[in-house]
Amino acid sequence: MVKILVVDDSSLARRSTRKILETAGYEVVDAEDGLSALERFYLDRPQVVVLDVTMRNMDGIEVLRRLRDLDKAAKVIIVTADVQTSTREMAETGGACGFVIKPVVARTLLAAVASAVEPEALCS
Amino acid sequence: MQLTPLQQDAVTELINIAFSRAAASLSELTKCRVDLEVPEVSVHEIDQVSGAISHFVSGDVATVHQVFTGPVAGDAFLLLNFDGAVHLVDLLTDTASTKGTLGAAAREVITEVGNILMNACLGVFGNLLHVRFSFSVPKLSLDDLGFMVQSLVVADDALQHAMVVGARFKMRGSEVTGCLVLVLGISSFELFLKAVEAWADQSLAGDQG
Repeated sequence: MVKILVVDDSSLARRSTRKILETAGYEVVDAEDGLSALERFYLDRPQVVVLDVTMRNMDGIEVLRRLRDLDKAAKVIIVTADVQTSTREMAETGGACGFVIKPVVARTLLAAVASAVEPEALCS
Repeated sequence: MQLTPLQQDAVTELINIAFSRAAASLSELTKCRVDLEVPEVSVHEIDQVSGAISHFVSGDVATVHQVFTGPVAGDAFLLLNFDGAVHLVDLLTDTASTKGTLGAAAREVITEVGNILMNACLGVFGNLLHVRFSFSVPKLSLDDLGFMVQSLVVADDALQHAMVVGARFKMRGSEVTGCLVLVLGISSFELFLKAVEAWADQSLAGDQG
């Protein structure tokens, strides 16, 4: 079963994202901040990370950078309400595989995850 | 006034979405990146709102006030620390000509910025909560925070709640601190919370949109 790490400081967002992913048959682990996310990534080795941007202490772009330092093949989907073009560019430059806008629409997130788990998925 | 954990979580996530949209609008206006910190949300009875607001802004503040009407009606106030307001005007007009003051033209700019930010924010509320808002023409005032809060508290005798959202953001290395205050009567506040709970239930069922 494909394992996905969901990182979001909002408990509501974590639970709703978990519901979407588990209903689609994925295994989900979660983390509420950047440091916990790095720890969970190291311990659980998820195939995909679904990562919020606006978080306390360490924002999602920094978490993305550190995840890719840990594993250059890490597949990370950014999920954010921040629709600034510069944020999307920072995500792409940082190596994100996907960019999903909040509020999350289930089919959009699932399409991004399905694309990321493809063996040939390219993360820049 | 205490929100349940689910209400607090849902309101915070809604605010996060709304402020992110507002920041994007501001970024488009100023043509520069806006780095938004996680907004802080709290709810108070109106006569206890002073402490919550002064946690984010103090001294002289630029306040844009808009009345909103509809099923959920109330007053929206966007408070910016004075230096932050001047900085915003400088970014928008691409000059440093205001020299630390807000003249007539600068006041128009701040009023329009407030209008856009509050519409972006309440527009997200309206779309996600399925509540239609109509807005009055925005009005700007430049006052000491204490005077502004006093006018807010004595404006209406009816029991009211105030939702205070504090936000810090950085633009071109300068920090701007702002605070959005939504003042709602009892019935509007209850309707608002019902709509928030419905949105949370929908989200937990697997779709936030």
